[in-house]
Amino acid sequence: MELGVAKDQASDRADETVASAGPYDEMRDAGGGVRPHYVALAERLQTLSADELAERQRTLERFFLLQGITFTVYGAESSTERIIPTDLLPRIIPAEEWKTIEAGLTQRLRALNMFLADIYSGQQILMDGVVPRDLVLMAPSYRREMQNLYVPHGAYANVCGSDLIRQPDGKFAVLEDNLRVPSGVSYMLANREASKRVFPGTFRGAGVRPIDRYPDLLLTTLKSMAADWRPNPQVVVLTPGVYNSAYFEHAYLARLMGVPLVEGRDLVVHDNMVYMRTTTGLRRIDIIYRRVDDDFIDPLTFRRDSGLGSAGLFNAYRAGNVVICNAPGTGVADDKAVYAYVPEIIRYYLGEDAILPNIETYLCREPAQLSHVLANLDKLVVKAVGASGGYGMLVGPHSTKAQQDEFATALRADPGNYIAQPTIQLSTAPCLIDHEIDARHVDLRPFILSGEKITVTPGALTRVALRKGSLVVNSSQGGGSKDTWVLTDRKDLQP
Amino acid sequence: MMLARVADSLYWIGRYVERAEHLCRLSDVMLTATLDRTESATQIARIALAAVGDPDDAGKARNPYEAALALVLDREDPGSVASSLARARENARQVRDQITTETWERLNLIHLRMTDPRAPQAFADGSQAFLHDTIADLHLFKGAADATMSHGEGWRFLLLGVYLERAQLIGALLEVCFGDRNRRAINDHSALTGLLRMSCALEPYLRVYTADMQPTFILEFLLLDEDFPRSVRFCTARIEEHLSSLSRHVEAAGLSAPDRLAGRLRARLQYAEIGEVQASGSSAFLGAVLDECAAVHRQVYETFVAYTLEQRLPA
Repeated sequence: MELGVAKDQASDRADETVASAGPYDEMRDAGGGVRPHYVALAERLQTLSADELAERQRTLERFFLLQGITFTVYGAESSTERIIPTDLLPRIIPAEEWKTIEAGLTQRLRALNMFLADIYSGQQILMDGVVPRDLVLMAPSYRREMQNLYVPHGAYANVCGSDLIRQPDGKFAVLEDNLRVPSGVSYMLANREASKRVFPGTFRGAGVRPIDRYPDLLLTTLKSMAADWRPNPQVVVLTPGVYNSAYFEHAYLARLMGVPLVEGRDLVVHDNMVYMRTTTGLRRIDIIYRRVDDDFIDPLTFRRDSGLGSAGLFNAYRAGNVVICNAPGTGVADDKAVYAYVPEIIRYYLGEDAILPNIETYLCREPAQLSHVLANLDKLVVKAVGASGGYGMLVGPHSTKAQQDEFATALRADPGNYIAQPTIQLSTAPCLIDHEIDARHVDLRPFILSGEKITVTPGALTRVALRKGSLVVNSSQGGGSKDTWVLTDRKDLQP
Repeated sequence: MMLARVADSLYWIGRYVERAEHLCRLSDVMLTATLDRTESATQIARIALAAVGDPDDAGKARNPYEAALALVLDREDPGSVASSLARARENARQVRDQITTETWERLNLIHLRMTDPRAPQAFADGSQAFLHDTIADLHLFKGAADATMSHGEGWRFLLLGVYLERAQLIGALLEVCFGDRNRRAINDHSALTGLLRMSCALEPYLRVYTADMQPTFILEFLLLDEDFPRSVRFCTARIEEHLSSLSRHVEAAGLSAPDRLAGRLRARLQYAEIGEVQASGSSAFLGAVLDECAAVHRQVYETFVAYTLEQRLPA
């Protein structure tokens, strides 16, 4: 996911005239006072010297190194392993705010699953003209192969990770939905493990809601997708292999769920049944939690050059002999252009207003919006619909005139392929940077599970833009992460 | 039940870890010997290098420090300690879900120490301490596996790798010292104690045979002792034990298992007598043992890992 990069605040603060447009500070209110839910942490930090903080930071990093929570940086001479930068200080979300987030995410995923079930069957929403037909059917992430295929509970996106941001007014909004193979949940869990070691005292008294049931809930969700006549379904996690950057997460989830971690080469499809090669022969698989993209799961159905999946897997799925989670083709619901219609989609299926708003989005396929975008290329973030990971993106305030001209040409040539959004100031949270506490921009990625029912784990991955002033939280571009504490509602506690 | 690929990885973790430990010990003995008389130091270095199959053992033995440094830290050499540990750890990463965190942490730690840019300096500053720590960490790894992993299929594959590798390494070392190729018999006292140290056998040997260093006793001890964990006989007994346990599941599926070979190998050592072994030539005996070890390895592969699908598809 990519965020717009606003002007470097540190250097530009002087000529910012509107103070109120500054980012929301997670820890301090407008008057500079510490918000109530941050008081305990702030007090604890007062008592710690810079050396003690640095020592804790080292403990934290050692934890990640020992656990092997690393990614490999391939250099010219040799490859080295690095840990993902992890910030010491937790980000805290009060109970009241979490209730809104939880309700909003549940509502959103319910509606998106209904949308997927609809477009892969009767396509009522397209007939009613709520979402343009060509937008959906022409999207590369739309899979005709999924048409009229029964998905238990209508749960297409079993694991969803949505990216939320907090706007300057303090309200959370959804920046992006991830319904394909969202990652990061292992960091949510590992950050929590680490922060329990580093801040045991503060942690104990804070009333932080536990998240360690996630693997258990994930397994329950996956099992709820099994056919009724298979009482003890065999679940596996399918990974692209050890060289994938999220491999640690795949192994971590498999280990915590107690299920085999398989690669494509471990699978055999025979007579529309999927088996894995074990030491004692072939064993049938019922449910595949796949961490491989649609394109690569079956060379016979999707990309022929894929060596990651297993030939015949999709046919076994269509035959109802195995369940693939998330279902193929869910990507059409987190498409950047379809995103703009999500509030409409929620209203259409649920008759409710969206609890969590979208970020204002201009669809360049609409001529009026296109001309607005073209006139404001220096202020907006323009994104190609089909691309991800920061490719095919123009960040207006940080672009040159030549880049803007290049995009203007591309936009006019193929407007349907682009959307634009205003550059948004993410909220900031205190972080430990070079032995000092300083504010950095953060986003929020909670994880939502949907099978027989929808559950939102009370925690999230908070991603941090470690470079001062930067709004880019991707790990590939100097982003890190930190533990996220969702607090218990005092009212819910027994007296 | 476990994935064939996972069993394969666990087996190789066992082999690589055992190999690394053995090489550390050879290097350590090689370097310790240089502290004494130079003559036997060269001989000990030759034994160690020949035992790891170095074609230029005579040449390299003249500079035991360089040879030991390369044997331990040379990442280019696929047979070095550092390379073996890198492979063990790479395999462990691929089966991270199958080994306990405690076990993983030990191996990861050793690997991080080996790949630390300061490792060559640490080796130069105190090679004995460096090797001693590495060996101790490898013992911790095996201890953690023993104490925290379920003693089921996966653990057995790990130990199968350890004992097969160990039987082959000790067998190769004995072949160098006592084989018929070896024209100049080893009877120098420091060379003989060196050999026992390479097998981590000095103290246990003394307890059985006292300080009487006789080549025949040493061969007997390292080959045929029932209780010493680095004797070839002990290893083959464990190989048979683990294999027959692993084979039960396969036999339940109506397939033949490789434990017949392992049983024959174990029996060959269990009922051997040192006088007969020497009378008919140690080389012939050791050769047969090493060949059978290789055969067990092949059959483990054919049975558990690289089986053909035709046999296993449901009818």
